[in-house]
Amino acid sequence: MTAQPTPRGPPSPTASFYDLSDDEEGEYNTIRHSSSGKGVKLLYTKSKVYVHPTPSAKDNIPGFIALVQQKAAISNDARPPSSSSAKPTTSSSLLLAWMPESSLGDAYDTYVKVDLSDSASPPRQSYLVPPPPTTTAHGHAVGAYAFAVPVSEVYSLLIRPPSIGWYFGSVVINTRAGDSFPALFFHDSECQSTIMQRKKLAKESFDPFGDGGGMFWGGDEVLRWLKRYVAVERSADPSTFLIAPSDEDKVSFGSKSPAMKKREQEEASSSSAQQKRDGGMDGLTKTLKEARWNFLEKLSQVTTFTRRTAEAVAESKNIPPQVRRLLKNPEVQTLQDEFDSARIYLARWAMGIAEQSERERTQRIWTAKDVLEMEDSEVGEFEILDVESSAAAAEKRKPVTMKEWKGFFDSKGTLQVTPDEVKERIFHGGLDLNDGVRKEAWLFILGVYNWDSDSEERQAYMNSRRDEYIRLKGAWWERMIEGHSTPEENEYWKDQKNRIDRHIPIFEGEDIPHPDPDSPFAETGTNVHLEQMKDMLLTYNEYNKDLGYVQGMSDLLAPIYAVMQDDAVAFWCFERNFLRDQSGMRKQLMTLDHLVQLVDPKLYLHLEKADSNNFFFFFRMLLVWYKREFEWLDVLRLWEALWTDYLSSNYHLFVAVAILEKHRDVIMQHLQHFDEVLKYINELSNTMDLPSTLVRAESLFRRFQRTVEAVDKKHSFPSPSVRQRKPEASSTSNVGASSGTSSGRTPANGTKPSTGAEKERVISPELRGLLSRKVEKLNKEEIQAHGGGVGP
Amino acid sequence: MTTRNKKVLLKVIILGDSGVGKTSLMNQYVNKKFSASYKATIGADFLTKEVLIDDRLVTMQLWDTAGQERFQSLGVAFYRGADCCVLVYDVNNSKSFDTLDSWRDEFLVQASPMDPESFPFVVIGNKIDMGEEKRVVCVSVIMLLKGVIADRLKISAKRASTFCQSKGGIPYFETSAKEALNVEDAFEVIARQALAQEEAGDFSNDFPDTTIDVNRDYPDQGCSC
Repeated sequence: MTAQPTPRGPPSPTASFYDLSDDEEGEYNTIRHSSSGKGVKLLYTKSKVYVHPTPSAKDNIPGFIALVQQKAAISNDARPPSSSSAKPTTSSSLLLAWMPESSLGDAYDTYVKVDLSDSASPPRQSYLVPPPPTTTAHGHAVGAYAFAVPVSEVYSLLIRPPSIGWYFGSVVINTRAGDSFPALFFHDSECQSTIMQRKKLAKESFDPFGDGGGMFWGGDEVLRWLKRYVAVERSADPSTFLIAPSDEDKVSFGSKSPAMKKREQEEASSSSAQQKRDGGMDGLTKTLKEARWNFLEKLSQVTTFTRRTAEAVAESKNIPPQVRRLLKNPEVQTLQDEFDSARIYLARWAMGIAEQSERERTQRIWTAKDVLEMEDSEVGEFEILDVESSAAAAEKRKPVTMKEWKGFFDSKGTLQVTPDEVKERIFHGGLDLNDGVRKEAWLFILGVYNWDSDSEERQAYMNSRRDEYIRLKGAWWERMIEGHSTPEENEYWKDQKNRIDRHIPIFEGEDIPHPDPDSPFAETGTNVHLEQMKDMLLTYNEYNKDLGYVQGMSDLLAPIYAVMQDDAVAFWCFERNFLRDQSGMRKQLMTLDHLVQLVDPKLYLHLEKADSNNFFFFFRMLLVWYKREFEWLDVLRLWEALWTDYLSSNYHLFVAVAILEKHRDVIMQHLQHFDEVLKYINELSNTMDLPSTLVRAESLFRRFQRTVEAVDKKHSFPSPSVRQRKPEASSTSNVGASSGTSSGRTPANGTKPSTGAEKERVISPELRGLLSRKVEKLNKEEIQAHGGGVGP
Repeated sequence: MTTRNKKVLLKVIILGDSGVGKTSLMNQYVNKKFSASYKATIGADFLTKEVLIDDRLVTMQLWDTAGQERFQSLGVAFYRGADCCVLVYDVNNSKSFDTLDSWRDEFLVQASPMDPESFPFVVIGNKIDMGEEKRVVCVSVIMLLKGVIADRLKISAKRASTFCQSKGGIPYFETSAKEALNVEDAFEVIARQALAQEEAGDFSNDFPDTTIDVNRDYPDQGCSC
């Protein structure tokens, strides 16, 4: 029964939801079923709305989003109406649902009919469909993404319209219980009704850009439906819409907040006129759409996008202030300065804005969350939706504080839990950035301290390390005083310290004049911390004489020193950090190559075509562990996750794939050559959002792990000479069972690259190594032999 | 068939030891900016600039590279299809001059141009703003092109010109990226050299649009390294 012989078969009534047994239905958090067996009224629906369970398009599940009305609700509502709901009767009888196409059975035709009927007015005719299972929580049920949630239980909708970077617009539903459902992606180009509505709109509005069709998308419709029945209010976060908000909600998130007021004032002049036509689309969304049009229009006139054009656009009064501000911000300026061609410029621009709004949203939501915690409101936690989707996940992602850290140890400083438990917490939650817990915890996760030591032993060990540091430092210091130091020592090292993070507070000061008036840096003074950095690098040279200075060393040292603020301690942390990072750049790039082939063969083939499958464009990220790619504080957070080796000692490669996947569509659609790919990836620097990257990396790791397991299982069966359907099916279902996840869809067979698909697939030793948590460290001799590990 | 109307992309590779000022030169030329706090380049990056050479609009793609030898062998994918190679050293650091030869050889091996003998190089001695020579330097392009070097310049100038002549008359410039001395002039010559090289390549090809593609599809020797 659970093993479905033909998973890809046509939707059949037997596979539909309505045949689920009572037991299975019981798995849903059921509030109410329609008491009459006759079904519910399908008010509105839209087709080709997908759930994307994995980053692979192959796994996408098409379905319908629908607004349905329950008949019995008005008379027999035993449940007290939600206090915060503005129109309890109406909204609780309405359900917002998503149903996979395959589950609709006979009702499919009805859904299609309603989808294609004119949605501009309320439906005249009643269409009855079987009641969907009602839920208020997104249970991670086996493969079943279908849900129907009473509108009265919907707290907010997160609306993200399509942009060039995000090809599909999406909607995420958040419930009052604090849960959120998977993002629903509107594949507008496949959706007949959206295409029709666009055409109609273009005819009516005389909009010269209407033919471009960027303005209207499927998500607009959902808001329109809801507005017929309940109050829909835009929150302080422009992409979040509150559904039937209570007064408290309005105060917390709504338009009355000071931030919102300011925003409104800013926007008032430009956006109010268009507000109506846009179906109440929020300011930022609309702004982006319009700006994109303006750009496209200009682009149709000039093939090369010149800076002058960008300036003209920026000065234009028709451009809302938000976009003008964006164009004037330094990052965008840099992009303008270094544009390559129009399409890359546009792609980057769109992605940059997407990242920016993602970041702004995250920040705003966190603030709101803080407010909630303060007021101890019953509204429930506000989720960061595209980041993760359950309250448990939020708990998991809380940073480890000094208090929690101390709780791991007894009075003698002996660890009372397993190192793995601690690592898990740090891996997911990171360490508190203010309370100094990093100073202690980093020594453990970097391996300076043993997990099974007690405080006394650690104290003694650190003392001996301090002595050793002083000895090493003394050695070169003495030579320098006596004038024996080689010219290289002086020449080469003296200015490297200036080539680090002068924008970080502790390296910012210039209270000491530059010791060398001939230096090109003579005009910029130095400070005690920079001098310490120099000393540590020189001491490392003493410690590891054959290596010499390696570019990236100061990148790998600066964050550690900034946190530790103690040169001896920082030195030994750095020593650990450096040895592992330099190990085999060539091998790392090759492993990344294998990994991308396995998890995203389509993207890989594209990169191959673009002459970019050497993955050189990831060189900088891999060499200094994304030090140049993320903001300073994010680097600290990322590094401590990587140092735990919680899932893999080469987890940074999964971070690489996560970054690649995020930009997959842009890369595949717009980037054709190595130079374009390199430029695009280089310019991601300091635009990327870390939390979502980490979540993506983890799910990629899990998928990778499942794939390897699946391949191994298949190999352990005696394989028949001719490939048959049966053994394949059985191995696939085994995967689902063993990993305890939903996936009948595990891409064991599907991810096979189209070329050479008939060859037997083996997991390369490099890939298998990714499942190991053991850190491969190069010893000094090896570094000497292989040139810092970057050799073959 | 004339190639006048074709959009020309000139690929220029800048090589030299770490800290000689490759990134600074490029940024001075393209963005007219100088910063004392450029981070060491890791991997590679490029900037583009449109320039007019005798009524022809060309796009220069200037490739900035990591100056540490250690990392060179990995990132040579972008050497391919280059039209000109700029070798940079620091006039105050003789070691950075001594390595120019090996940078040149490395480039020829990795880029393997059709005719290594005639492939255009340009040598730049940077950081002439430093030290006592600061005010003396201003040598005209023409003199440099003829290989006439004012002997008031630092010793390395003479050595540099000897080096350049021994390599078949490589154009040589002394510059200050910091004070924008000679930078424009140097890059104008670089652009001309690159354009000449690009056009020489076009002789053997009647379909100008495929020129770039030929370069791009150059056999991948490194083979997914």
